[in-house]
Amino acid sequence: MNLALTEMKRSKLKFGLLIGAVALLVFLVLFLTTLSTALVTSITGALNGLDGQVLVYSDAARDNLQASRLPPTVVAEVEKVPGVAAAGGVTLGTVSAELLDGSGDLQLVGSTAGEPGAPTGLVAGELPARKDEIAMDGSGYALGDEVTLSEVDRALTVVGLLKGSQFNASPTGYVVPAVYDEVVRAANPGVPFVPLNAVAVAVSPGADPAVVAQQITDDVPKVKGYVKGDAVSLIPGVESITQTFGILVGLTFVIGIVVIGFFFLILTVQKMRTFTLLRAIGASTGKLSAAVAVQIAVVVIAAGILAVLLTYGAVQGLSTGIPVTLSPVLVTGTVGAVLLFSLLAGLLSIRRISGIDPATAAGAR
Amino acid sequence: MTDDFVPAHPDQPGLDPAVDAGEHGDAILSLRDVSKVYQSGDSEVRAVSGATMAVEQEEFVSLLGPSGSGKTTLISMIGGLLSPTSGQILVGGTDVGALSSRELTRFRAERVGFVFQSANLVPFLTARENLLYVSTLQKRVSRKEAQKRADQLLSELGLADRAKNLPEQLSGGERQRVAIGRALMNDPDLILVDEPTAALDTQLGRQVVELLAREVKQRGKTGIMVTHDLRMVQYTDRVFEILDGHLTHVEQPSALQH
Repeated sequence: MNLALTEMKRSKLKFGLLIGAVALLVFLVLFLTTLSTALVTSITGALNGLDGQVLVYSDAARDNLQASRLPPTVVAEVEKVPGVAAAGGVTLGTVSAELLDGSGDLQLVGSTAGEPGAPTGLVAGELPARKDEIAMDGSGYALGDEVTLSEVDRALTVVGLLKGSQFNASPTGYVVPAVYDEVVRAANPGVPFVPLNAVAVAVSPGADPAVVAQQITDDVPKVKGYVKGDAVSLIPGVESITQTFGILVGLTFVIGIVVIGFFFLILTVQKMRTFTLLRAIGASTGKLSAAVAVQIAVVVIAAGILAVLLTYGAVQGLSTGIPVTLSPVLVTGTVGAVLLFSLLAGLLSIRRISGIDPATAAGAR
Repeated sequence: MTDDFVPAHPDQPGLDPAVDAGEHGDAILSLRDVSKVYQSGDSEVRAVSGATMAVEQEEFVSLLGPSGSGKTTLISMIGGLLSPTSGQILVGGTDVGALSSRELTRFRAERVGFVFQSANLVPFLTARENLLYVSTLQKRVSRKEAQKRADQLLSELGLADRAKNLPEQLSGGERQRVAIGRALMNDPDLILVDEPTAALDTQLGRQVVELLAREVKQRGKTGIMVTHDLRMVQYTDRVFEILDGHLTHVEQPSALQH
């Protein structure tokens, strides 16, 4: 006979309410984390998903991809730097387009499939190889749909679908460089060349990306090399979003754990007479502590399942314009962390139990 | 039932417990000069002082004294709930005072059965589960064995049809009978009973003590009942009187009846 489970069976309302309360706390952590991850991914996905380990910007760009302007010839100069296996130009800009849901801004990325700088988040179809093709992330496109670029008034067929490859939390289209050039020249007829925003670099096997990035900065005039992860974190707004959500999630998590700890401490205090009796008749502190731990585990796991269902429902019902998905890794990690820290918070109860003097059951103190 | 202690007035005072102990050489329970001193600020409170007594197997004795006389402290030391400040307590050859905290927990689980004041059952366990829980504290008892024993005990205590009831659904007398069943569940050497009639009316109190006496005898156990109610001692074999922490006399119950 299991003391912990028998009590839970007999006190369904009390433990049901407790599970509900913990589920709401776990839901809040899951939902905020999911939203934060989705937001950051939608801002950084394009850059993070580019093929290559190092990115090169203009040194005057102040670490900002969109402010970077590089002549196309810089690709060849970067390729000569020791440790660079291959390099490819990346162009990026905001253009007007006819999308599925009407006219709007489209983040247009020009890169060449198979070269550094090509996107890696392809989930269906293929990357564009011709001037009338585009690969899309966002806005609910399907293969075969069309996207019309307003500047050139030409429809491109969607040949590939990408995931986690958006930039600036907007629908993002990937085209061959020639299409991007065409759009820029249509808006700026006299432009001598279409500048690149970045050069993506694949480093040689065994080379350290950080060393290669520094080597590029040193060897090529007027450019600055970045390890891709650093470039992603330098995207304007990413750091503040990450920090803000980090504080929110962290605070919710800590409050949740403290509340769970207090819940079980209250339950323990309520049961002190029973625990004292059980200690008196020969139950060890370890056995009673295990009963509390079992109840915490059952409550947190049940609350975790409920919270996942709630989060899934909320994510399905969200209409944020950015792709929000519930990650199994996030769910497992969050519920696991809540369980672990709740058990640690349960030490408050266990400390109380270990302080029980069994003699008080007989009133001998 | 009155809560007032009725002092004993036998025509001839009984034996000194230390002298009486010398006449019970093969006692299963033996106390030698046991004292318990509590620290209260700068002063000391001597709850039990130089207690010496002996109780044999199949004996059911009572510890009679007024409130605050030290009888609960004494029974708590015998049951391993408290450690003596000095002296020796031997239960079947085991020196209880020398046991570690862990060993005392095991000692209580395996060798002692407690019946506390006002029943003290686990409120969220049924009568049967209250008994079965005791078996989970012992490694040597199988689940099937435990269930059989619990059902048998409940049946003997007239509680077969109340086995699935929670304590709140039982009367005071039924709860006390469940507590007696729980005390017998682990087949202990000692059954220690603290004021079992405190929450019961006279009639029910008598029935419960009578039942306890019968169970102790039938099962060949050793029982000690703490009471301040002179009317209950008639069901015991001998009466140890305690006053201000001192065991004063050992009487025959008949000597105390008037």
